[in-house]
Amino acid sequence: MLKSNSMFIKRWWPAATIIIVFAFAPQLFETFWGRMGMYKLVLLQVFLANVVLAQSYRLMTTTGDWTLCHYILMGMGAYTTAILAKFYGVPFYLTIPVAAICTVAVSFLIALPLSRTIGFAFFIGSFALGEFVRYIWEKLHFPFGGSRGLSNIPRPELGQSGDWYFVDFSSRMDISNLYYGTLILAVFALVLLYRLDTSRFGNAWKSIYSDSELCESIGINVTRYRILIFCVAGFFASLAGSLLAYQWGAIDPDNFGMIEMVYLIIWVVVGGVKTYWGPLIGVASMSLVFELTRPFDEFRPLIFGVILISSLVFMPGGLEVLIPRTTRFFKNLVGTKEVS
Amino acid sequence: MGLDILPQTIGNALVLGSIYAMVAVGLAIAFGVMQMANFSHGELFMVGAYCVYVLYTLFGWPFELAVIASFPIVALIGVIYERLIFRPTRGNVLAGFMATAGAGFILQVLISEWYGVGLPKSVQVPYPGGSDFLMTAISWQRLAIIPVTIAMVFGLWYFLTKVKDGKALRACAQDPEASVLQGIKLNKMTALAMAISGGFAGVGGALMAPIVSVNPYMGHDYAIIAFIVVIVGGMSSIPGAVLAAFILGFIHTFVSTFADSVYGMMIGVLFMAIVLIVKPTGLLGNVKV
Amino acid sequence: MSFLSVKKLSKHFGGLIANNEIDLEVEKGEIRGIIGPNGAGKTTFFNVISGFYQPTSGSVTFKGQNISGKHSSEISKLGVVRTFQRAALFPDFTVLENVVIARHLRANNSLVSAIFGNQKKAEEANVKRSAEIIEFLGLGDEIESLASNLSHGHQRQLGVAMALATEPELLMLDEPVAGMNSGEKAVMVGMVKKIRDEWGVTVLLVEHDMRTVMNLCDRITVIDFGEKLAEGTPDEIKNNDKVIEAYLGADDSVA
Repeated sequence: MLKSNSMFIKRWWPAATIIIVFAFAPQLFETFWGRMGMYKLVLLQVFLANVVLAQSYRLMTTTGDWTLCHYILMGMGAYTTAILAKFYGVPFYLTIPVAAICTVAVSFLIALPLSRTIGFAFFIGSFALGEFVRYIWEKLHFPFGGSRGLSNIPRPELGQSGDWYFVDFSSRMDISNLYYGTLILAVFALVLLYRLDTSRFGNAWKSIYSDSELCESIGINVTRYRILIFCVAGFFASLAGSLLAYQWGAIDPDNFGMIEMVYLIIWVVVGGVKTYWGPLIGVASMSLVFELTRPFDEFRPLIFGVILISSLVFMPGGLEVLIPRTTRFFKNLVGTKEVS
Repeated sequence: MGLDILPQTIGNALVLGSIYAMVAVGLAIAFGVMQMANFSHGELFMVGAYCVYVLYTLFGWPFELAVIASFPIVALIGVIYERLIFRPTRGNVLAGFMATAGAGFILQVLISEWYGVGLPKSVQVPYPGGSDFLMTAISWQRLAIIPVTIAMVFGLWYFLTKVKDGKALRACAQDPEASVLQGIKLNKMTALAMAISGGFAGVGGALMAPIVSVNPYMGHDYAIIAFIVVIVGGMSSIPGAVLAAFILGFIHTFVSTFADSVYGMMIGVLFMAIVLIVKPTGLLGNVKV
Repeated sequence: MSFLSVKKLSKHFGGLIANNEIDLEVEKGEIRGIIGPNGAGKTTFFNVISGFYQPTSGSVTFKGQNISGKHSSEISKLGVVRTFQRAALFPDFTVLENVVIARHLRANNSLVSAIFGNQKKAEEANVKRSAEIIEFLGLGDEIESLASNLSHGHQRQLGVAMALATEPELLMLDEPVAGMNSGEKAVMVGMVKKIRDEWGVTVLLVEHDMRTVMNLCDRITVIDFGEKLAEGTPDEIKNNDKVIEAYLGADDSVA
C-alpha cells in the first residue's frame, strides 16, 4: 500500500507494452489472417470486455463478499445501453454513462438487504436477488423484450472504417473502429480500477476483509463501505455490459445467466484475487482454453468444471501465486539484483 | 375465479411445499455438518429424475422400485462430492460451494452425453387419475408426494434423535470439535450427511420425473428455490427448512394461480429479502452465516 | 458537565440482564478502571459505550453530546476509540502500514478524489505522524516488522497505537494486559500512563489483573452481577467490604 506509487512506476512499462500491442492488433491480424482477422478481432474485443468484468468482480471480492449477481449488474448496463440506443437513438457517449448510473442505482437496491448478511448467505442471497432482476427482464416485453431479448442494437457512430484508422478489413462492418473504442474504454476502466485498488478506499475494503470489527473501532462504517463497493463494482460491470451490448448487437436474459456467472467465477478463481494481476491472468488463460476447446464444445462445461474443482482444491490462491516465483526465476536468470 | 378453487389451490400448495421440503432438507443437513454448501444440489435432483427415466421407462422396473433405487444412487454421488470436493476444501465454505458448481457442469455434460440433450424425456405416469375429494382435483401422482415426504422427514427425525449415528450427526452439527473429542469420526459424519443430502434430492427428483419434463438442466429452478428456502428457514435448521418450504410452496402456488408463475418466483425472492432484513438468521435459525 | 457521562445504562439479552442501570462519570484526563468478577457484565458495558451493542435503556453522553445508540464507527469519529481483548491488527502489513491504514481510514476524502487526486502530500504527512506515534509508544525498533511476526505484547501495543492513530480524546482499553508476562505488563502500564500524561488522552479500561488496575488507575468502578457495586480510589476499593466479599465469593482468583 505504501509502495503503491513506486510500484506503479515499476509496473507501467509492461502495461504500456501490452497496450501498444493491443493498439496494433488490427494491423497484425490483418497481416496474418487477412479478412479472417476480423473474426479474431471480435474475440479480442470480447476479451477486453471480459477483463473489465473480471477486474470489477475482483474489486467486489476485496471485502470478502463474493456475489452471484455480478453478471446481472453487467446485464443491467447492457440492457440500459441497448434500450437507449435502440428505442431513443441516444449516442454511445451518453448511453454508456447513463447505463452506468442506472446500474449503480440497481446495485444500491440489491446491496441494501444483502449488506445485512455475510459470507455464504450473502453469496446465495445475491443469487436470488439477481434472479429477481432476470425475471423482470423475462417478464416485461417493453422495454426489455421478454425472453427473446433485444436485437438490432445500433452500432455506435464511430465513423466509417478507415476514417480515423488505417485498418480496413474491406468489410461492410466498421469493426476496427469499434475495437479501438472498446480498447480506449477498457484501458480507462482498468486504470481507474487500479487507482481505486491502491487508494484509501481500496485499503479500507481490504481491511474490512481482514478484520471488520477492528475497522469499526477505527471509524469505518463497514456496512456503508460494503454497499459502496457493491455500487462501484456495479459501475464497472456496467461498462463491460455496454461494450458487449454494442459488440453483440443483440442481448437476451440468457446471456446473463448462472452459467455465465460460473464462468466468471472460474476466471477469477483460476487467476486469484489477492493482487490486481490475478483476474488478468485468469481471463487470459481461460479464454485461451476456451478457444482451444472449440472443437469439443459440448464437453466444454465438463473441462471447465474439472479446472474449477482442481484449482480450488490444489491451488486455492490461483495462478497469481506463481508470479513472485516466476519473476524471481527470471531475475536470477538475467542476473539482476533481487530488490525487495 | 373465486373461493371454489381455494381447496384445490391449498392442495396444490401442499404438494409443492412437500417437494420443496424434500429438496431443501437435504441442503440444510449438509450445511449443518461442517458447512458443506452444495451449489449443484439441483443437479442431484436432476440425476434422481434420470434414475426413474432409466430404470422405469427404459428398463421397465416398477416405478416404486425406481424411486427407492434413486436414494442410494444419488446418495453415492453425494458421498463422492464429499470425498473429492468438501473434504479437501473443508473450512472454506465458498471454495466448496464454487467447486460444486463445477461438479454440476460435469454432471450435466455426462447426462447429456449418455442420454442426449434433444427433446425432454417423457416418463409415463404410473398412477393415472386423480382424487376428487372436497372439490379438489389433484392427480394421484402429485398427491403421492405428500405421504412420501412425511415418511421421509419422519424417518430423518427418527434417525437423528434415536439412532446412534444420527445422534452423532447432530452432535457434529452443533460442535464439531467437541464431538471429535468424544470419538466421533468427522469424515464419516460429513460423508453420511452428504449421503442423506443426496438421497433426499434424488428421491425428490425421482418423484417429480413423471410430472415435469426431464432434461439435464431441470435442476436449476429447484436449486434456486431450495436456496431461498434454506435462507428463509435459517441455514442448517431442518425444521426451519420444512416450515419455509411450505411457506414458499403456498406463496408460489397462490401467486401462480391468481397471477403468473414468474410473479410467484419474484414474490418468493422478495419474501426472502424481507426475512434477511428483519431476521438475518432466518425464521428458525440461530446462526448468522 | 463531565467528559463522559453514563446514566442508568441497561443492556438486556433476551431475559438476561447483563447491565442494570449503571451510572458512570469520567473526568477529562483521568485513568478510570472498571473491574469485576468474571461474567459481571464489564465487557458488555464496554461494548455498549463504544457502540458495538445497542443499549436497552439509558444514555451515554460524551462532551455533552448523546452518543448512545450511535453506530460504533461514528462514535470513534467523535473521539471515543476502543481496543480489543484479542490482538486485533491487519496481519499482512507492517507495523508502520497498520498505523498508516488506521489514519487513512478516517481521512475524509471522496471516492472521486481518491481515484483522480494526488495523495502524495497527505500521504507523507500520514507516514510522518504514524512513525511519531510508533516511536512515542516505544515500538520504534519494530516499525518495519510484519504485524503477524510480533510478540503478543508488541501486538497489543500495536493495537493501542492504531487506536491512537485516530487521534482520540477518550481511549477505551479492553483488558490491555490480558495474556501478558510481567515484563510486558510493566511496559503496557508505562505506555498508558505516558499516553495520559504527555498527550492528555483520557483512558477508560476494563481489566482483570488487580495489580495492574491498582497501579494504573486514578479511580476504579466495580461492577458485579450487572450492577455498580462501588467506586473510588484504588485505596478505597481495596478496603471496601462489599468488593472484598464479591471477590471472595467469586470463583476466579484475584491475583
